Amino acid sequence: MAKVKNWHLNREMEYPYEENRPKRQWAIVFDLNKCIACQTCSVACKTTWTSGKGQEYMFWNNVETKPYGSYPLAWDVRVLEKLGHQQWERHEPYHGKTIFEAAEPNERVAHFHPTDEDWMYPNNGEDDCAGNVPAGDHISLPHDKWFFYLPRTCAHCTYPACLASCPRKAIYKREEDGIVLIDQSRCKGYGECVRACPYKKSMYNPYTRVSEKCVGCYPAVEQGYQPMCVQNCIGKIRIMGFINPPWKAREDNPVDYLVHKKGLALPYYPQLGLEPNIYYIPPVHANREYLEQMFGPHVDESINRYKKLREDPIAQGLLVLMGSTDRIIHTFKVNNGVASGYDEKGDEIVSVPVTEPIMERAPYDQKYGTVRNNTP
Amino acid sequence: MFRISTSLAVLLALCSSTVSASEIKATKVSADLSKPAVDESVWKNAKEETISLMAQPMALPRPKTTTTQSVRVQAVHDGQWIAFRLKWHADAKAEAGKIGQFSDAVAMQFPVKEGPPPPVFMGAKDSPVHIFHWRAQYQKDHEKGKPGMRDLYPNMNPDMYPMEFSDAGHVEGLTEEKREVYSPGKVSGNPQSYEKSSAVDEIVAEGFGSSSVIQNRMAVGFGNWKNGEWSVVISRPLKRENGSTLEPGKNGYVAFAVWQGAKQEVGSRKSVTMSWVPLQVNAQ
Repeated sequence: MAKVKNWHLNREMEYPYEENRPKRQWAIVFDLNKCIACQTCSVACKTTWTSGKGQEYMFWNNVETKPYGSYPLAWDVRVLEKLGHQQWERHEPYHGKTIFEAAEPNERVAHFHPTDEDWMYPNNGEDDCAGNVPAGDHISLPHDKWFFYLPRTCAHCTYPACLASCPRKAIYKREEDGIVLIDQSRCKGYGECVRACPYKKSMYNPYTRVSEKCVGCYPAVEQGYQPMCVQNCIGKIRIMGFINPPWKAREDNPVDYLVHKKGLALPYYPQLGLEPNIYYIPPVHANREYLEQMFGPHVDESINRYKKLREDPIAQGLLVLMGSTDRIIHTFKVNNGVASGYDEKGDEIVSVPVTEPIMERAPYDQKYGTVRNNTP
Repeated sequence: MFRISTSLAVLLALCSSTVSASEIKATKVSADLSKPAVDESVWKNAKEETISLMAQPMALPRPKTTTTQSVRVQAVHDGQWIAFRLKWHADAKAEAGKIGQFSDAVAMQFPVKEGPPPPVFMGAKDSPVHIFHWRAQYQKDHEKGKPGMRDLYPNMNPDMYPMEFSDAGHVEGLTEEKREVYSPGKVSGNPQSYEKSSAVDEIVAEGFGSSSVIQNRMAVGFGNWKNGEWSVVISRPLKRENGSTLEPGKNGYVAFAVWQGAKQEVGSRKSVTMSWVPLQVNAQ
């Protein structure tokens, strides 16, 4: 076992292989305040990658409702249960166990093994609210009832559990972009990766009898385009880019800015120890305790900063760049109310006005004699 | 994490190249052993050896307990081919298929090079082993065809697959190859994704994790499960160029591994022989 540095946990941890960060790391930031679970991302991914035989049940990208939804069933609750109660003091490194450290002596990681039926209910718990809504109830602040949508792809982790668990070394992490892939010619379908991945994004194909996972849309990424799930997002809640570790963070890199500079986006279930590379801007009205279990101890700071976005024209500008182009934005600039995105060479890809013109309309339309509905 | 006490490590290091007390003798019979179904009478005078197995101890993940305590072995040869009959206890028959299901399997391992045998745990770099791997799943492929999605999940209802239209009739330029692009395992030429034409795979390995299926397989096999016991016959040519070569009158070595599919065993989760078993191929 090697000792590797995990900056999510702010400490070293054990991992079967030496630390070897890729030249660039594929990463996606999601704004959970905007996801409406339209599932366009899921369908985009499915039509591109998982329409073949054996892939019918697979959602390499899925969107589940929290707290009661999950695909496969109860994946997060079960892995947290397996890990056991762990403590994380607010301004301290994580001193609890990762799934590598909590592994039994005969296993690589602490894990549970889903059955095939666990995969068959992707819409389980969809739109189920935490708390009963009695007749005549109305929304108040703070929200006493809540739910939110969690879209998730493979996180192309820095320390993947799938890669660690494969006895045939059939899973590899690409040096050029950090995308983690299962070698389809070397896999023998043991399913160790399916057991090991705590996020359950490695899936067994019963037709080809080998396992598959999200490929990060690497053919698109190689040509400078964002993944299908990101490109097709109706709500424009996503941006894909290349993240640097905090000691190399660049202010003009969109993902670095959201994660490191502004601290708006947080990794999910960082306590598991994989250093996942998908980051979430937490939903501001959901239960804080629940959010802390999922996103770690910096949730409060993240939400406070998000609520003050109007004071930060740069961050505001960056958020409007999300969903503005199908190409990967390597650097960005916000100047005079316009946000611009640039490609690898520094050529401009897109420029977007930071605020759109606002029109105010009276609630009652005198001309047509009717009420204008306030339906946002 | 791989935690192992020093004394156990020493014991294992000693075991890995030593040789077990049991010995398998392959008697010569006059029969054609190159067919998968071999006549019962062939085994009449073949002495049965009980070989002890233990949970694979070296590579992670490894089983918590030894699920198969022993395998009973008989061996016969006809001067060209050598056949082994292997019997072990399995509560239920497991042939893999659905997601999360695994197959019962047994494998025999032979050193490729002459001289002292390589480490018994799948050989080592430059000390290859030749493995004959029978799987109930492969036998089912061979007997009933590789299962399609409707065989595995009869109540499943996918609306359509790319490039497969029930009313398309003949679509210009649409071949099976084009359709199979949507099956990445197949397109990559992975042997797992194709229908197995024999119940036995031949594999070469140089240490764990390195196994590769040999293309020009010759071995055949047939297994029968009855009353909680598998009885599997694996037949192979005595001489395999670039593979294991056995000769009448000479001694060789063999090692065994058994997987209990119903107990989620596959890959490194198996019961194995801890040391090489001497194999004597009788001259007559």
